[in-house]
Amino acid sequence: MHNMLMGPLWGIVAIATVTGVVTLGCFVAMFKYLVRPGEKDPRHPKYDILRPDR
Amino acid sequence: MAVTAQALGASAMDPTRTGGDDRALASLFKAYTVSATFWLVFGTAVGLLLAFKFGAPDFWAEKYLTFGRLRPIHTNDVFYGWASIALVGCAYYVTVRSCGTQLYSILLARIGLWLFNIAAIAGTIALDLGYNWGDLEYREWPWPIRLVFLAALVVTVWNLLATIARRESKDIYLSNWYIVGGFLWTCVICVVAILPWYQKGLGQVAISGYFMHNAVGMWFTPLALGLFYYAIPKVLNRPIYSYALGVLAFWTNLVFYPMLGGHHFLFSPLPWWLQTTAIICSVGMLVPVLGGGANYLLTMRGRYHGRIESYPLAFLFVGVICYVFGSMQGTVEALRSMQAIWHFSDFTVGHSHFTMYGFVTFAAWGGIYALLPLATGKRPGSLGMSVHFWLALTGVAIYVIALSIGGTVQGLDWVHDKPFIQSVIDMKPYYLWRGVGGILMFLSHLVFVWNVWRMTAGKSGDAPSPIMESEEAAA
Repeated sequence: MHNMLMGPLWGIVAIATVTGVVTLGCFVAMFKYLVRPGEKDPRHPKYDILRPDR
Repeated sequence: MAVTAQALGASAMDPTRTGGDDRALASLFKAYTVSATFWLVFGTAVGLLLAFKFGAPDFWAEKYLTFGRLRPIHTNDVFYGWASIALVGCAYYVTVRSCGTQLYSILLARIGLWLFNIAAIAGTIALDLGYNWGDLEYREWPWPIRLVFLAALVVTVWNLLATIARRESKDIYLSNWYIVGGFLWTCVICVVAILPWYQKGLGQVAISGYFMHNAVGMWFTPLALGLFYYAIPKVLNRPIYSYALGVLAFWTNLVFYPMLGGHHFLFSPLPWWLQTTAIICSVGMLVPVLGGGANYLLTMRGRYHGRIESYPLAFLFVGVICYVFGSMQGTVEALRSMQAIWHFSDFTVGHSHFTMYGFVTFAAWGGIYALLPLATGKRPGSLGMSVHFWLALTGVAIYVIALSIGGTVQGLDWVHDKPFIQSVIDMKPYYLWRGVGGILMFLSHLVFVWNVWRMTAGKSGDAPSPIMESEEAAA
């Protein structure tokens, strides 16, 4: 789809490359933590909130 | 490995030391919830009237009750009156409890509540008198009133940061990252939306896209997600599946969300690269959405019966599901080929209710049902929660499905160059179903009023404790 405001091709390629690499990196990190959630230390703060509130 | 509340009992706060603070915090939480509930009923009553006007445009057509005045009253009141105040009330409770300390200032919190309400009241009156800031969605309030809202944010975030600073633990729990992040980002977008010197021409368009989408994604979303990270583990009596994934979702939300508002202005004179960047960031949002959603659902794994037995969990579960699917729908909508059909159509209205109601409002309800009884010691009735849940869920499902189908038909009519009136005729049955869904949703809000009464001032109901048994106890 062409548009007169599209700008130079290499500019589009640069934006797509940078944002694409960042996005892909984030997806890889997301899958890593889904498979290996981490935090096995019982002193981790995620266990602290389970204490009684009152 | 499961570290349960019983195992952590030794670290529980001493009730004799925090008893006074407990009562003050409970009173504050009640005040925010009651105030928010008023705006929920008022704002959605206006919304119901608007839905009726689609079928009968001449009904109550006096100048104070015209569609143009009532529509922004509905959106602003449910945004800044209901959802904001409800989530801020929950945020106070979550921050204080997760930090294991006392609130920095009850007075500041009450001042904040007054400021939120003054802004909502003044904004409603101004809009009904015809003082509308113009075509700037979700910032129709005149700018001095938006300054009052900004003051409420500043007062509240100051109070929350000072509370976090006096926490007992070394770490800052994940919920507080989201809550404080949401406040700070919203202060930024509110300032950007008020500064006048680029509010003209294409600058106004760019800022409008920036504000309208970030008001959702950098305010309601982090507050609701922060609430999830506290309420879901609390109700299930088990820790969040992956803390690290929650941190990743926090930062990726910050990376991708601020730039995606431009997808509301595809095919406009905005620079093409800005539109393309907005589309890419919309796809990037799948990372925090899928990662965050999976994190919540994996925390619930194996406790499926809980979603039936525990209504607080059922509300939170619907909130998570609508967060995941509503946000994914937003990504699909951001693609140019899809925008060509859905732009300007009622599909977008269905999407906003899918997310702001299905996600944010169900999250607020889940948080209130899970946490307010812990603060006040009073519970709602089981029947009341059940009726509220099913009326609201059925209502929003009818509403969203009707407008999604109708909006697509409407958009295709325009793409095929049919006369505009044909799209109005085609939408007629869907407008009717929109009204049916709206009635069910509004009725559920009246039931919620009753439930709030029982959790605050009335006689405690028969609902079981919002905290489920630990897995060891259940076994």
